[in-house]
Amino acid sequence: MTPKTRDSVVFSLNGQITHVTGDDSFMTLAEWLRKRALLTGTKIVCAEGDCGACTVVRAFEPRGSKKKPIFEAMNSCITSVLQMDGSHLVTVEGLKVDEELAPAQSAMRICHGSQCGFCTPGFVMAITGALELLPKLDRKTAANYMTGNLCRCTGYSPILDAAESVVSSPKHNLGSRYLTPATIKKLRELTNSTLEIHGSSGPEGHHGKVFYAPQKLADACKASAKHKNSRLIAAATDVGVQANKGKALAPYTISLQNIPELYTITSSSTSVMVGARVNLTQLRTAMTKPMPEFARFLDIFASPQIKNVATLIGNLANASPIGDTLPFLLATDAVVHTARHAQGKFSRRKIKIEDFFVAYKKLALKAGEIITAVEIPTGKYAHNLRLYKVSQRKDLDISAVSAALNIDVNKSGKISLASLAFGGVAATPVRLGKVEQYLLGKTPSTPVFDTASAMIDSLLQPLSDARGTDTYRRVLVTNIFQKYVHNTFGDRS
Amino acid sequence: MKHTSTPHDSSITHVTGESEYVDDRTMLAGELFVGCFYLKVAHTEIESLDISEALKIQGVEAVVTAKDVAHNAWGPIFQDQPIIAGNVTEFAGEVLAVVGATTPDALRRGLGAIKVRHRPRPSILSISQAITKKSFIGSERSIRRGDVAQALSTAPHRLSGILEIKGADHFYLENQSAVAYPKEAGQMEVHSSTQHPTETQHVVAEALGVNFSDVVCIVKRLGGGFGGKESQSSPIAAYAALIAKKTKRPARIVLTKDDDMIMTGKRNPFEIHYEVGFDKSGKILALKSQLYSDGGAYADLSTAIMERAMLHSDNAYFIPNVEVIGQVCKTNCHPHTAFRGFGGPKGVAVIEGIIEDMARELKIDALDIRKMNVYREGHDVTHYGQVVENNRLPSVFTELEKTSDYRRRRSEIAAHNRTALAASSRFLPASETLRGLSMTAVKFGISFTTKFLNQGNALVQVHRDGSIQVSTGAVEMGQGVNTRIAMLVAEELGVPLERIRVMTTSTEKNANTSPTAASTGTDINGAAAVLAARKIKERLAALTLKLQNMDPENWPSKTAGLGSYPEIEITDLDDAVTQTSFHANKVEVTGIRGKGKTKGFKIGFPELVNEAYLSRISLGEYGYHRTENLGFDKLKGQGQAFQYFSQGVAASEVEINRLTGDVKVRRVDILMDVGRPINEGLDLGQVSGAFIQGMGWVTTENLVYDREGYLLSHSPSTYKIPSIQDTPREFNIKLDHNPNNLANIRGTKAVGEPPLLLSISVWSAIKDALRYVSERDPSHLAFNRTHLLPIPATSERVLRHLEPSLFSSPAHK
Repeated sequence: MTPKTRDSVVFSLNGQITHVTGDDSFMTLAEWLRKRALLTGTKIVCAEGDCGACTVVRAFEPRGSKKKPIFEAMNSCITSVLQMDGSHLVTVEGLKVDEELAPAQSAMRICHGSQCGFCTPGFVMAITGALELLPKLDRKTAANYMTGNLCRCTGYSPILDAAESVVSSPKHNLGSRYLTPATIKKLRELTNSTLEIHGSSGPEGHHGKVFYAPQKLADACKASAKHKNSRLIAAATDVGVQANKGKALAPYTISLQNIPELYTITSSSTSVMVGARVNLTQLRTAMTKPMPEFARFLDIFASPQIKNVATLIGNLANASPIGDTLPFLLATDAVVHTARHAQGKFSRRKIKIEDFFVAYKKLALKAGEIITAVEIPTGKYAHNLRLYKVSQRKDLDISAVSAALNIDVNKSGKISLASLAFGGVAATPVRLGKVEQYLLGKTPSTPVFDTASAMIDSLLQPLSDARGTDTYRRVLVTNIFQKYVHNTFGDRS
Repeated sequence: MKHTSTPHDSSITHVTGESEYVDDRTMLAGELFVGCFYLKVAHTEIESLDISEALKIQGVEAVVTAKDVAHNAWGPIFQDQPIIAGNVTEFAGEVLAVVGATTPDALRRGLGAIKVRHRPRPSILSISQAITKKSFIGSERSIRRGDVAQALSTAPHRLSGILEIKGADHFYLENQSAVAYPKEAGQMEVHSSTQHPTETQHVVAEALGVNFSDVVCIVKRLGGGFGGKESQSSPIAAYAALIAKKTKRPARIVLTKDDDMIMTGKRNPFEIHYEVGFDKSGKILALKSQLYSDGGAYADLSTAIMERAMLHSDNAYFIPNVEVIGQVCKTNCHPHTAFRGFGGPKGVAVIEGIIEDMARELKIDALDIRKMNVYREGHDVTHYGQVVENNRLPSVFTELEKTSDYRRRRSEIAAHNRTALAASSRFLPASETLRGLSMTAVKFGISFTTKFLNQGNALVQVHRDGSIQVSTGAVEMGQGVNTRIAMLVAEELGVPLERIRVMTTSTEKNANTSPTAASTGTDINGAAAVLAARKIKERLAALTLKLQNMDPENWPSKTAGLGSYPEIEITDLDDAVTQTSFHANKVEVTGIRGKGKTKGFKIGFPELVNEAYLSRISLGEYGYHRTENLGFDKLKGQGQAFQYFSQGVAASEVEINRLTGDVKVRRVDILMDVGRPINEGLDLGQVSGAFIQGMGWVTTENLVYDREGYLLSHSPSTYKIPSIQDTPREFNIKLDHNPNNLANIRGTKAVGEPPLLLSISVWSAIKDALRYVSERDPSHLAFNRTHLLPIPATSERVLRHLEPSLFSSPAHK
């Protein structure tokens, strides 16, 4: 049986089922909304998912899911229309009911939450997203939901006043307005097939580029093996930025967006298995109990708009030396699960994380191999594990240095576990086995930790860049390590 | 802090997303996308520029270069900058060619196909290099009072230093943008995101080689400006217009945030060499200050910015002997430009920083030093000879000291720091943070220091239903200038606010306007609008007096169509206004107080307007305003530079993480004098917005350049403006109601820029925290004496100032 394929992206936009075909589907969602749908309330400022002016809300559940989709905020500037297949979208134009402003809109207006107005639709959408989950917001919660929105006029106080005064109104609830069983069913039917779109080769087009979103993992593996120049994407939050900054799209893009099995996250008593399409918001929920330290850490990196879309696997596959989750994965001995199609055979394997980062942005993956999941061991790691991230600005900033540290002692007071992983200090995220070996079996003491600290310093080779000098990074690493041992073992001098 | 005063006049369309900005205009058939080509090198001679390959790309319709520009020089003060560079480029990001294409993709490929051969020339990329090479813009200027040399030589205490202040990006959310529509007979209609429609009109006309009258510049609103669109938006609009002229098609330019940050100038970096003398009680005796600014490659507004820095070097404090010298340096950086506060923040940072250092040396609370030196009766003449009138400074200091609970918090902070610094290790949780507290002031001079800019005009048109359109040269960029103008006109004519519509700004209606800048938008344009409204009001009042004595059956509405009754002639216009009251959409005859009697005649404003039209009485007026009593001699550095001063104080408390240098602002209290506010909600928004914007400048906003002066931190992923999480945990703003500012329209005071300067309290609070370390550690004291904490005090710099030894040990060099 040959799978059905489809050459148009289908989604619901402010309640209307919408089809987009050909070159238009390769546009970013924000550009398409503004230039094709003429919905110009959605703004483009940074085109890199850092300012939130392009915020829209999206509800999506993979095929076969029994859950009712929920509207969540996302950046429309770094996602393509292609990735919206099967989604329900609402823009700022979809909020009013019969000329009556939605609660977030009237609160922003009354509290002087808007000055120049350019960031305003983005803030309104961020608050709206929060109100789909919570009936009311306190100041702190409101701020957390708006971490991904920049405003240069108000100093934020009036916006916080607005968000704090908002009460959700059943009449304006987007879930009940737009996620009707009929719309959900119709969209499911229209998108129950493999999506394959070819850009045209004319001057207006994308030069024969192909976007392929199969429904089965095996098909993705086959395509990945067959097309040497293909690019695999999960949520593509980084690829989207690169495209906006002028980097050409790969000739053949394979998206995992329509493969339901990759959306699963399962917990056991010893580990959590995170599928390739699980986003960071879902990950945070799943980690709250087994690893509260990691859940806390997820709160201080990336914006809600990014976390509602971006995946742990994307962070891993991107392999940036300052990828925020990578020291954590290294320190916890995570295991990478992969799948591949080679010599006519579909196979799966596991790769230890310590073997995974080979060189700068180079991974231990074979041609065509796809990361399907990451298994995070929990249990023994939860106790003394601490995660650190230092950046110019506390929130929503790429780290200068990040670290995952875990040292524990046995009953006789000797160090029985040591995992030390750092980001931002070398070409790849690193785990410092040498220092760990030195520490194992020692009794915690100031001299021991000072020696370890000096070893760490000698092993790292940070660079200077726009986020900090090499010296600053070295000082930070020492300070983080010392802070960790002092907090964990007290003052041993 | 919640405020329910009249919302911004665009508040509904802002929250629904219907407010129209330049790039929200629907694209017309055939409209082109326009982009800029530039090199990433500091200074280079162009040997050849080859656009032939670009023109071959399908979809590329035109490429314009220097030779397509009719008059290729512009500049708000000196015309020293090419619109498109020709034989040489003088900064990384200077535009060499402009491409117009049918799609963004064709545009990108077209820009990529331009080839340049060039030979690098020596470049200057710092103020110190410029000083050495005497690479300057404009001449040195000075302001002097008293005998500084003598006062310094006899002062019991002296401090000297070099303060480094870096620039900052405006980071308006709406990037620079313009759309040009070619019209018949060589005319051009330009919609631009500019604070200065008139200059944009002029620059576009000169670029095209047409009369100024052939260009109309239209500005609906800006998605933020902050000074960044005062001058630098003009060439951007010219790029679109040049493509439109060449192709006879509409052309649209919308810079990406990256291009915008790379191409356009920032707040001028400054380097200030100073020496101050004071006595042991903390009285400042003399200040000698040599200010250098990095003007970048072209003059732009840098000389005027320097002047304001010099004029604000005293800030709120009386200094008997002063010598302030200013010189703008020419470098190979993007041409730096206006940014909220202009030069003011730089002058103010110097003196506020000095006071923190004096406090450290004398072991006196910095607040006591400030209160001792503040402008007060008998000590109220500035170094440039202007009297500080309507002076609120002593009282706002005293009041905020009380309401911010300054003294109690001071002792708590001292105790916190004592514990932290006494601990055996700085790595223990109890010793991880240090705190600092500082209260600084602002005395911001309101007026353009260039006298001729202090003029404005307005057009008021009353329509037959009694609704009113007001047009001025003011540009709405979020500050609420249109709302304030509407409220002033509504008050003048006694009509409900919703009957007033402030119209799109256009050079077709208001010509020869000044930029909406220097916080003067409402002062100048509001005053002009009120003058225009006043003239209409006089005529309507006179008509009212006539109507009250007529049988309504003979009113024009009953007779004018037939010509059956003599037309009304109005007389004694001045008197008429005093005998009538315009209120609640009605006009009532009240009579002259004490004499004459009134019949209590009343007529609805719309009805009256209709009677006026039918009586052939003009319902439109043009108002012209010029600010009186200004007279500053730039060459002598003396005179009445400002119409009045906006004043205020802020107390900021910070917490520094000793392991990372991370700074948290724990609490901010602000007391701001805004005279008699027109709209408190808008004013409070200006205060909190300006403060947080300034807080970014003094803390996290770090411009990083490479060796070619090419900006590396050119997007929000590397350039960090404050986020919502950076707002102070406690943020109290109060307006000081002050009805006695007689100098300005309706007793108001400008509020756009002044509160930005209060953010300097965040930086000085960091200095205050460092003082506690110096108190206990002589080597730290020695370091802090010779190394002044720069602006911005980024985490890295703060950590360096906390633990200088860690950054100087051999392993870390």
